[in-house]
Amino acid sequence: MSSTDDQTITLVSNDNVSIPVALKVAERSMLIKNMLEDIGESAMESPIPIPNVNEQVLKKVIEWCEHHKDDPATAADDDSDSRKKTTDIEEWDQKFMQVDQEMLFEIILASNYLDIKPLLDVGCKTVANMIKGKSPEEIRKTFNITNDFTPEEEEQIRRENEWAEDR
Amino acid sequence: MSTFKRAPVIHAGGNNTNSIITSLKATSMIESKPVLPAEIISTILDYLPITDLISFARTSKRMLEMVYEDSRWVQRLQVMGLWDAGEARKRFEDALRKKREIVRMRVEEDAKRAGIGVNGNSGARKTSTTLFDAGVEEERQRKSVDAAAKAVRTSVDGFERLSLSTPNPAAPTPRAPMLDPEALLNIFSGVRSIRGSARQEYGKIYAALAPFYYDLARSRSHVDPVIFRVYRDPEQQAQMLAHLTVFARSDWAQGWRQREEKLVTMIGIFENAVLREFEQGFEAWDVDGKMHRYAHVLGVLNGGHAGIELFVQKHALFNDRLGNYMDCINQASSDNITLEPSRQFLEALSRKINEQADIIDRVFPPGEDVLHILLDKVAEDILMEYVTPLFDISHERSLPSYLKAVSGIFDQSMQFGLTLKPTKNSGKDFLTNVKSVVARVFEPHVDLYLQEEHDYFKGLAETEVDTWDKKLSQEDATTESFFMANVNRQADKKDFLSSFKKVVMMPVNVLPSLPPFGAAKTAPANRFSLQPAPSPRLSGSPIPSRPQTPGPTPALTGISSSLPSEAPTDELAAKAALMASRLEGIRSLFSIEIALDLTHYAKSSIERAGLFVRLGGQTGEEAREQCLTIFVDLLQILGNRHVKVGFDKAVDHLSKYNPREVSEHQQGVAPLVTFLELVNVGDLISQMVDVFYEQQLASPRLADRNDFLDPAVVAKKKFEQMLDERVAAGLNKGIDVLMDEVEYVCATTQAPTDYNPPHSPSGNYDIGPTKCAEQVVGIVESHTKMLTGSTDKTMLDVFNQEVGLRLFTALCKHLKRQRISTDGSIALISDMNLYFLYIRTLKNQELLEYFKALRELSQVYLIEAKHAKEMAEVIADGKRFGGVFRAEEVYEFAERRADWYTVKKDVERAMYGIGCGGHVREGGFAWMVGYIDAYTTKFYRLSGFGITLYDSKSVLAGGLYHIFSPCLCLCSPLFPTVFESPQEQRVSRN
Repeated sequence: MSSTDDQTITLVSNDNVSIPVALKVAERSMLIKNMLEDIGESAMESPIPIPNVNEQVLKKVIEWCEHHKDDPATAADDDSDSRKKTTDIEEWDQKFMQVDQEMLFEIILASNYLDIKPLLDVGCKTVANMIKGKSPEEIRKTFNITNDFTPEEEEQIRRENEWAEDR
Repeated sequence: MSTFKRAPVIHAGGNNTNSIITSLKATSMIESKPVLPAEIISTILDYLPITDLISFARTSKRMLEMVYEDSRWVQRLQVMGLWDAGEARKRFEDALRKKREIVRMRVEEDAKRAGIGVNGNSGARKTSTTLFDAGVEEERQRKSVDAAAKAVRTSVDGFERLSLSTPNPAAPTPRAPMLDPEALLNIFSGVRSIRGSARQEYGKIYAALAPFYYDLARSRSHVDPVIFRVYRDPEQQAQMLAHLTVFARSDWAQGWRQREEKLVTMIGIFENAVLREFEQGFEAWDVDGKMHRYAHVLGVLNGGHAGIELFVQKHALFNDRLGNYMDCINQASSDNITLEPSRQFLEALSRKINEQADIIDRVFPPGEDVLHILLDKVAEDILMEYVTPLFDISHERSLPSYLKAVSGIFDQSMQFGLTLKPTKNSGKDFLTNVKSVVARVFEPHVDLYLQEEHDYFKGLAETEVDTWDKKLSQEDATTESFFMANVNRQADKKDFLSSFKKVVMMPVNVLPSLPPFGAAKTAPANRFSLQPAPSPRLSGSPIPSRPQTPGPTPALTGISSSLPSEAPTDELAAKAALMASRLEGIRSLFSIEIALDLTHYAKSSIERAGLFVRLGGQTGEEAREQCLTIFVDLLQILGNRHVKVGFDKAVDHLSKYNPREVSEHQQGVAPLVTFLELVNVGDLISQMVDVFYEQQLASPRLADRNDFLDPAVVAKKKFEQMLDERVAAGLNKGIDVLMDEVEYVCATTQAPTDYNPPHSPSGNYDIGPTKCAEQVVGIVESHTKMLTGSTDKTMLDVFNQEVGLRLFTALCKHLKRQRISTDGSIALISDMNLYFLYIRTLKNQELLEYFKALRELSQVYLIEAKHAKEMAEVIADGKRFGGVFRAEEVYEFAERRADWYTVKKDVERAMYGIGCGGHVREGGFAWMVGYIDAYTTKFYRLSGFGITLYDSKSVLAGGLYHIFSPCLCLCSPLFPTVFESPQEQRVSRN
């Protein structure tokens, strides 16, 4: 498959906005890459619908892909044991992720759907950073989680995990 | 597809443009699902530190479930190397069994107590054990109690107690880790692999180590960390730091890199401090004090590599000079090398290392094989330094000394390896390790050495053969006369050969019970194989005991009595001794001596190269191959260059032989005798090669006897085949020559009066075989006997049979040239008896029939002329001659009677009588249209002595033949074919 720099394809968001993207950028998404490989050259002509993502988010994702288009390809299946590969978020990504929480989640969902593993990782790390240092109540508030514990249960879990408490 | 998918989303987007969270929240309200898909949350959780993970777990039941998921914790334990899947499975199975038991018991109990159904009760229970399956909880509770009972550190298990379903916990305990620092040192040993409890187990470790870990990560200098304040002992500090290193592996939350770096630096600082202490101890040689202590501290910390390295690097051993490699060269005579200094050197080294082994045992903790590391360095710094320049110099000086040095020092080094004592940490494969260390020293030299060894042998062997060839061609002029001279001493030769054969047979007989080679080295009998054969040669001094190529007039008398008194244990040596004393008389076209020399060279080369086979691996394999190559070369040079050429020459001599051109006739055909001698020698060489192969290659497992693709086996087969071929070719020629000689003897020595003596009225005949017959038998016998035992039995049989048959033919031919009177028949009969007796010694039944017939035949001449009728009967009696002669042939012989023309008529009348008109006699061929079996239609075609059976497909052909036979009779001379059936013929006659 010839993937020259100037070759572009068109992605269509779920609110029917067509966005032209350089092929190389779009191929950061394993979903699109695999699809193009499966279908072949002909697919480049017709626009590709991305049904789960709206224009705003899609643009954001493309922005990220644009910036990371020259990154080395990540190994397909990281061994789960080598979690240590996790590195800290790089500066550009940190800035990129300075969006409201709704947008952040959308990006995560979109990158999950489009199968852009590095972006998903960055998103997850960002969320993890948001959780860090917060009390359970704060976390609930941030993530809109309903507390379905009885007070006794809550106390019990706290005691159960006393060992992990920060000191 | 697009419309289908897009539509609802647009709808959703339209409704809730501002907040997807709210929409997700709405769904989560309905389905009690979190905001993000579970797998994403799970990924997020991976990035969380433990503290936040637990906080997250406390937000809702679903999150709790996710965080508590066992695999998450198992993974952490696995990373630390504390999870044993096998143990977990076993525990799980045990637990399952116990759980069933408990459930059963509880059901009974509940039923008893409440008297109502189980269902209701369990529902009520669920409120108190909300989060856990009741059984599991019960199990866990039981276990924690167990653990508490078992372990001393009851108080540390605070969180385990909390997992009891009773809301009333034990009294709040102070921070566990700080409480009992001693117990924490063995935190990992208490970890168990329990399915479903990985979190608790990890919790224990975390509770113990995390405070230190994070404290360390936060600390700024090495005095800060609480770990160094809690633990004052370097041993404990090391233990704790080692624990933390392991623990750090389970930390992959963000920032782990910095934390780990911190830990590594801290350990580095600590290690350096300990190392300094160790060094001080090392310098003061405080073996059992400081050195011992700090080596152990380092061992606990990270295996103690740093200490070992220091120990090995700074070791005093490397400053001593134990020996100078130049001694090996300087102490020896020119171009030679002596290995005594190297032996002393290695001995001293071995002593030193064994001393060190004791010290290593005293200083270092179990685990690392310090001696091995030390040995590595010794090999590299001391052995290599010693060996490499020595080899280089000796290689420059002379090849033989190089070969000797490499193999000799290698052997010494292997011995050196065996003298080393293992330390406690050395493990079972100590010897293998030592071997590999020695192997590493020699590896760079082995290739060159093997190549040189091979080239050296090849060169040596070739020069040897070339020298011989040159010598032979120089003496070629004298050989002819020598052969003649040789024949003159037939008696001596016979005597020699008999004793020779006796001794040759001896080693062959002991072949099955091969003595181990080591025994050979101590055997006193072998003067050749004892000393490394080439070495005396190399130094240029001739071996006094080695006989020079014998001159044409060696003293042969008394040799047969000088059998070696002690039984030789080494066959090769036996043969060597044998050859030296016995073969002096044989001067042939190839020399057993040369063969012996070559095998000696090969033997020493293979022995030297064979040492390297012990190295094993690729090098060993190469050495083994090189040994085989040397053997193959030996066979090639010996076979193609030496033996084959010799045989070819002998055969050439044979084919040129013409008895009529030789003026002087002795009791043997000179070239044939030479050739047969060669066969003997060749056979000896072949046996020697065989013994050599068995001993040098097969016994030490250099070559596989059963592997038919093995180059050595193939070469050996080829060699033997070549020998057989030459022998066969020579024998073929030899028979021709022998028969020529026989015919010549018959023609020249048989007086016409032998069988037809002038009538002497006294009747005093000389009874006994004629001179001619005696001479013929003598010639043939002496030649056939020479072969006995020296060549293949089957080949010998074939040879004998051929000789016999040819002799028979020659005798028949000879007989037909004689005229025999009744008086002379006595002599003839004794002649025939003599032949018969001789043939009987060959033990060939088939052959015997012929000579029996010949004997019978001779009686024809004994019959007086007046008994013509009886004579006819004898002639016609096919049975009498065992089918060897036909009546016609006997008739032909009868014609040789001196009085034939007087008896002819009577005999013919008696034979054919009247009324046998169907039988036509013409020109010596009897044509009888015999009986044709119309049913089987078998035509017998007799031609020579072979009988071919023709099976006609068509009965008609037989019939036709019968009809046209009279016509055929007319043109019978054109078809020298006899159709007959003797029995039938006789029947019709009678």
